[in-house]
Amino acid sequence: MATKTAEPGSDTETHSSNEEHVVIFRLGKEYYALDIQAVQEIVRMQAITAIPGTDSWVEGITNLRGRVVPVIDLRKRCNVDLSEYTPETRIVVVSSATGMVGLIVDAVTEVMRIPSDQVEVPGSVVNVSENTYLRAIAKLDDRLVSLMDLGGVLPSESALTGLGDEQAEVAAA
Amino acid sequence: MAMAKGQPLHFELDADDLKLFSEEAAEQLELLDSALVQLEGEPEPDLLQQIFRAAHTLKGSSATIGHKRMASLTHSMETVLDQVRQGKKSPTSEMVDALLAGLDALRVLTDEVRTRVESGVDIAPLIADLDAVLSVSDAPAAAALAPAAGELLLPGEIAAALAVAIEQGKSPFLVEVAIAAACQLPSIRCYQLLQELDALAEVGFTRPDRATIESGGAEFELIAVVASTENDEQLTAAISSISDVETARIRHLQGELPGPIALSSPAAAAAPAASKGPRLALVEDESPSSPAAAAAAAAPARKTTQSVRIDVERLDGLMNLVGELVIDRTRLQQIREQLSSVLKDANLNELTENFEETTSHLARVTDELQDQIMRSRMLPVRSVLTRLPRLVRDVAAKCGKKVELITAGEETELDRSVIEEISDPLVHILRNAVDHGIESPEERRAAGKPETGIVSVTAWNQETYIYLSVKDDGKGIDTKALRRKAVERGLVSAEAAEAASDEAALQYIFIPGLSTAKAISDVSGRGVGMDIVRTNIERLNGQVRIKSTYGQGSEVTIQLPLTLATTKALMVTANDTVYALPLVSVTEALTESEADMHLVGGRRTLRLREKLLPVIDLANALGDRRPRQLNRERFVVAARHSDRQVAFLVDRLLGEQDVVVKSLGDLIGNRKGLTGATILGDGSLGLIIDSASLVAEQAPAAASA
Repeated sequence: MATKTAEPGSDTETHSSNEEHVVIFRLGKEYYALDIQAVQEIVRMQAITAIPGTDSWVEGITNLRGRVVPVIDLRKRCNVDLSEYTPETRIVVVSSATGMVGLIVDAVTEVMRIPSDQVEVPGSVVNVSENTYLRAIAKLDDRLVSLMDLGGVLPSESALTGLGDEQAEVAAA
Repeated sequence: MAMAKGQPLHFELDADDLKLFSEEAAEQLELLDSALVQLEGEPEPDLLQQIFRAAHTLKGSSATIGHKRMASLTHSMETVLDQVRQGKKSPTSEMVDALLAGLDALRVLTDEVRTRVESGVDIAPLIADLDAVLSVSDAPAAAALAPAAGELLLPGEIAAALAVAIEQGKSPFLVEVAIAAACQLPSIRCYQLLQELDALAEVGFTRPDRATIESGGAEFELIAVVASTENDEQLTAAISSISDVETARIRHLQGELPGPIALSSPAAAAAPAASKGPRLALVEDESPSSPAAAAAAAAPARKTTQSVRIDVERLDGLMNLVGELVIDRTRLQQIREQLSSVLKDANLNELTENFEETTSHLARVTDELQDQIMRSRMLPVRSVLTRLPRLVRDVAAKCGKKVELITAGEETELDRSVIEEISDPLVHILRNAVDHGIESPEERRAAGKPETGIVSVTAWNQETYIYLSVKDDGKGIDTKALRRKAVERGLVSAEAAEAASDEAALQYIFIPGLSTAKAISDVSGRGVGMDIVRTNIERLNGQVRIKSTYGQGSEVTIQLPLTLATTKALMVTANDTVYALPLVSVTEALTESEADMHLVGGRRTLRLREKLLPVIDLANALGDRRPRQLNRERFVVAARHSDRQVAFLVDRLLGEQDVVVKSLGDLIGNRKGLTGATILGDGSLGLIIDSASLVAEQAPAAASA
């Protein structure tokens, strides 16, 4: 990836400290964003194989060029109204502490840099303890965008799969 | 100056060196492990040479990295081995014990290099034991006190001078040179040789002596003891460069000074050493005069098979790529079939033929490539088997048995992932065989058997499986006692035990909880862990079988797939999800209508020949709670693991396929009844069934009898 090499005329070093470089996507009528560093790629909706016995928001696994990648329906995770998949539906593939994970979103709208002075901590608006994945809120001219914390979106394995401690240990080993 | 346990250590090596050191050390330790046990009895000269080399190599590498304790210990072991090699000591069981104890300590010391933490191993008593072995005099050692023919005893002052040189870091060498018989002026050549040696080394002793050589009185032989900073290779090369040198033998003297030095060239001995036993090979093979050949001869021969060490991760990567290719191949074949059915009528015969040719060629190449790469991950099972003689020796000694171990099929190859998994179960079965199978010498005598019991471990390949069998000629398993025990423990009903055939009763040995002893002894409690052995083997898609004849012995056979990366499977669907059922467990597949199904106590039961199998809906068993439609005819797949059998109810059968096993990933983790996922011909994913755990969960153990 060419993101490491600074483009001529743009001083990325200074910018990075006072702006957020994010991928913005839509879940229902809300807009969310993830740090671009965490996003590996964005793919169209493709075949997903359900895994029996997992939580409802674990959609299953998919084949990403030969890799088996688990997929989570982010709309279910964030309690957003579900709609049918459309041609705009995308899987945002992120790299997390537990490996690559695909997140189903209704649409990916844009990639942008948000200046820090437009970003606010969420405490005043929402209950943070119930929304562990909410890191900050960006106030754009026309709308609000919730900046997500990837660690909060992807809970620990045992919470995800309802495994007992013993099995969770095996999985971690 | 014993160092405190837990203290950090420092060694002179970086990460790459560490890898090299560990690999080399592991290799040498393994060699010692298997070879030392064979020392007792009649050791072959080759074996002695091997053992000595291994100890010597370890000494060298540990000294290089500054592991002083390891170097001292290996030095002591090497000294003992050298005495044996020279025939000055015959190996006794005390000696082997001392060497084995040293070997155990060496493992720990080798680990220290990796952990860089002092382990607390005290080498002093080990060295004392080794020294004690040496001080016990036996016949050959007594004879060696007086220099025999063919031996050289250095005069005191020369020995002392050499000792000083050795202190200064030089190494002592014995140099034996023969001048070609055709040489016109051998005395000149000897003089040249002396000068060459003087330039490279401190010459302590010569025969004939220096004055004779310098006055031109030497003939076709020259023997010298020198101390040099050069190695034997360089000395050989230098000497071989002199004209008319027929043979040049250079031997690094280890642990022989100041004692007598054995000579190798028969002509050098004033009288042939006929009275003595055969001398063991002491020097490298005779080297021809070309320096290259001489150097080759001087370098210890360590070229068993030509091999390259490859990072396993790299091989795993290749294996994954090939897995992709295999999937593409399957996919292409599907497209080909679709195309030919669509294009059959159109006048495109040539095109479809070409296409078919290409796809089938691709299929062949892919299969071949997959096979080759799989084979490159294979190792001979030898690495597992070499550990066994030691184990048998230890276990037999502990329980007072006489046991001979015979191994066969060491060259049988299997995937390294399987090798890693196979060792523990095998060791367990072998312990059982020695501890419980083989009788005490008295019992054996009473039964009219030879006192020494025989345990054989055999490995072989058949189709895509590897088999390992452990067979003993011991007392066999008393199925009556086994029945009684199973009933006593409430694991089997008295009626079932009564009705069971001997063969079926033998399977009780695999029931968890049959033995309540929890490995009390070092060896093994009776039958401890056969259930665990079976669970572990089945986890790898393998099977364990046991045969036994009371009074005559038992045989346990493990069957495992050659590799864990791919599995042959029966592909089925259940509620629109594709599942792979490992073929090793599938016994039969029937349509629902031809299956003889009954309701027993509300549970569907399949009557298959004389067996009754519980019928399990696959999707339900896995916890698939999605809505489903069941209108078409379904299929019944009978699966078996050891004595337990169930019948899975599935929607459709898709045929057999080689599946590449992929992990479900950390986020999903281990799911009940699943071992992973596999990529299907259309690029979507299917789930691989852990049939062993499903069968175990669904079929009551041992109820099938």
